[in-house]
Amino acid sequence: MSNDIPTLLVVDDEACILSALRRSLCREGWRVLTASTPDEALRMLDEEPIDAVLSDHKMPRMSGLEVLEVAARRRPNAVRILISGWPDEIPAERLAALGVRALIPKPWDDAELKRILRAALAGCR
Amino acid sequence: MGRAREPVRIVVAEPSPRQGGGKLGTVEALRRIGRGVRIEVVHDAAAAIELARSTADLVVVDRDLGAEGERVLAALRRSGPPVVIVTPEATADVALETFKSGAADCVTASADYAEVLPAVALEQIRAWRAASARRAVRQRIRSLERLHATIVDQFPAALAVLDAEGRLVTVNPEFERAFLAGGAAEGRPLDAVLPADLLASADVPELLARAWSGVARTPRIAHARGGEHARAFDVRAEKLDSEGRILLVLADVTERERLAKDVRDLRRYMESIIQNMYSGLVVVDEAGRVAASNPMAEQILGEPPGSLKGRAVRDWFGPAAEPDGCIARSLAEGARVRGAEGMVQRADGKSIPVAISSSPLVDADGTRLGAVVIFPDVSELVQLQSQVLHTEKMASLGRLAAGVAHEINNPMGFVHANLAQMEEYLSDVARLLDAARSSPERFASLSRELDAETLLADFGQAIRESQEGSERIRHIVQDLRAFAYRDDGEWVPADLNRCLDSTAHIVWTMMKHSVVLQKEYAALPPVRCHPKQLEQVFMNLLVNAYQAIEARVARDGVGNGEIVLSTACSDDGVVISVSDDGAGIPPEHADRIFEPFFTTKEVGEGTGLGLSTSFEIVRRHGGTLRALSREGGGTTFEVWLPQQGPDGRAPQA
Repeated sequence: MSNDIPTLLVVDDEACILSALRRSLCREGWRVLTASTPDEALRMLDEEPIDAVLSDHKMPRMSGLEVLEVAARRRPNAVRILISGWPDEIPAERLAALGVRALIPKPWDDAELKRILRAALAGCR
Repeated sequence: MGRAREPVRIVVAEPSPRQGGGKLGTVEALRRIGRGVRIEVVHDAAAAIELARSTADLVVVDRDLGAEGERVLAALRRSGPPVVIVTPEATADVALETFKSGAADCVTASADYAEVLPAVALEQIRAWRAASARRAVRQRIRSLERLHATIVDQFPAALAVLDAEGRLVTVNPEFERAFLAGGAAEGRPLDAVLPADLLASADVPELLARAWSGVARTPRIAHARGGEHARAFDVRAEKLDSEGRILLVLADVTERERLAKDVRDLRRYMESIIQNMYSGLVVVDEAGRVAASNPMAEQILGEPPGSLKGRAVRDWFGPAAEPDGCIARSLAEGARVRGAEGMVQRADGKSIPVAISSSPLVDADGTRLGAVVIFPDVSELVQLQSQVLHTEKMASLGRLAAGVAHEINNPMGFVHANLAQMEEYLSDVARLLDAARSSPERFASLSRELDAETLLADFGQAIRESQEGSERIRHIVQDLRAFAYRDDGEWVPADLNRCLDSTAHIVWTMMKHSVVLQKEYAALPPVRCHPKQLEQVFMNLLVNAYQAIEARVARDGVGNGEIVLSTACSDDGVVISVSDDGAGIPPEHADRIFEPFFTTKEVGEGTGLGLSTSFEIVRRHGGTLRALSREGGGTTFEVWLPQQGPDGRAPQA
């Protein structure tokens, strides 16, 4: 937590989803960064003071879990949240091992997502 | 007898003309017999004998001929015409000597020579002719008797003559061989000789009674079971004479009866097959008319029993009976066609799908008499096929469901989130309106606070993105509906590039994360086809390609795949190929991939019908589907389709 405004990184290969999440989360007053590829996400993890990572799971080249795995190593304190259209397919033990805070199904409930993030970011502080 | 009317021929053998007492010579005296007498005079024995043995009625030998005359007598003594000796003077010795030597008479050339010689000659001629006639009759009788005996001996049926009491009078060798076994025949009663079952089965006593009373003859077939072989006889009886004798004829017709029974059995056997087969069968004559049919044919053609004969098969079979159809080709060229798809058009307006097999009907010499047409009703099969086709299609949709749901999920996700956001934006806008109504200052300050410019811009963007999202969902649903739509069974000209592309678009949603899709389309002519069925084929090939890539990625743990869709024209059709760089087909599976229910996937992952259904669809389009694969090196499925469809009709563009 370098300053008072938390920084969120949102990763999805779908531009419209990034746009919708950014729109919703900015409203909470958070700083929202978006990455449309895992490579971009990894670069931002190195360069930016990230407090929370929200990643889509199914992406080309690298899955969301893999992105969160890297995030866990590089930013162990960042909150990790996975978004997936197929939450049932993701093994619970991997989520636990990676310390994933929440698994959000797609399509997501905007209010619920914000509630989870607020609680998680408050806890970090 | 003809001979009696022939002219009288007399041979005179004398050294020189003899003069009788009345000055007339032998020849002159004989001339007095009548005008029709032919007299030939010879001077030696050889000439006399030769003439006598031809057709002479009498030989007159002059005693002056001496030893030559005796030779004539000796030669004609046994057989031949009578010989009369003429002598200058008759003594008892001379007369005795001449009779001893075989002469018929002896005439002295005395004063009444001219009267006596003709009288003696005439008498001898009459006697000779009468004897000749008797001999001829005897000979004829003997030859008839020989003929009769030969016939009876050689007759290939058992013959018996019975007396009025039914006892055997005489039998022929065939009868002896068949019934007597060497025993005597004469006098034995018939019922002691013939087997009892033979007598009974032909009712021989009744047959004999009819013959005796002269009632019309009816041959009967009788059966004897004697020994190991049952035998059959044709039995006839005929009254021979007024004494009540009867000729009984027993012809062994076992072989004939056996053949006749074989023919009857074979006919019944064939009839029973033809009558009961679960296929229509018609025999068509050279003019294309029904010569024979079975009940199933009547049922399928929807015609009353017994009404098919003589009617043109064209009435029901349409194209199959037209010049290029299978029935017409069997009639014209002797072609054999198996299981051609056809339609029966019934008088009641119904159409029945049938599988037509047609082969030429030829006689033993190979002459074509017509055609045999067999046509099972395949309505149920066709219905089942279409169900299987549709079921398989739904199953392949099922395999797509995950990808499709994901593809719907994303736009749903952001449209949903945007809607929530827009609601908040709307309330911001409402607050701004309120502020504007109260005072310009409050409006300006709230505008700054809410960053109204950015808010409005983002509101618009949220609407545009939501529209795009809902448009994407609409497209996916449209594609799915189009794919799931049941084929209406019409042959239509179609652009296969478009079919392939729209199918690829559906499948693409599930594979875009791991597969690069290359399209190498050539310009294609319209192809006469069932487009929905071909889309199903393309779908199966694409899903297979995708799964092969997934299998390789799972095995190797890394990497993406590539699918190449390419189309090309061949001279009379088009080629569509789907290549992947997936796991390939192991050689031991290569022969089986087109078998129904063959699958290497886990239960629930595949029906095992995809490739077999595809193969069947392509086959029914008159095309071919083949797989070119190197294990580990990917697979290419290649579909070739004739431009004009399976029956060679050009598409109407």
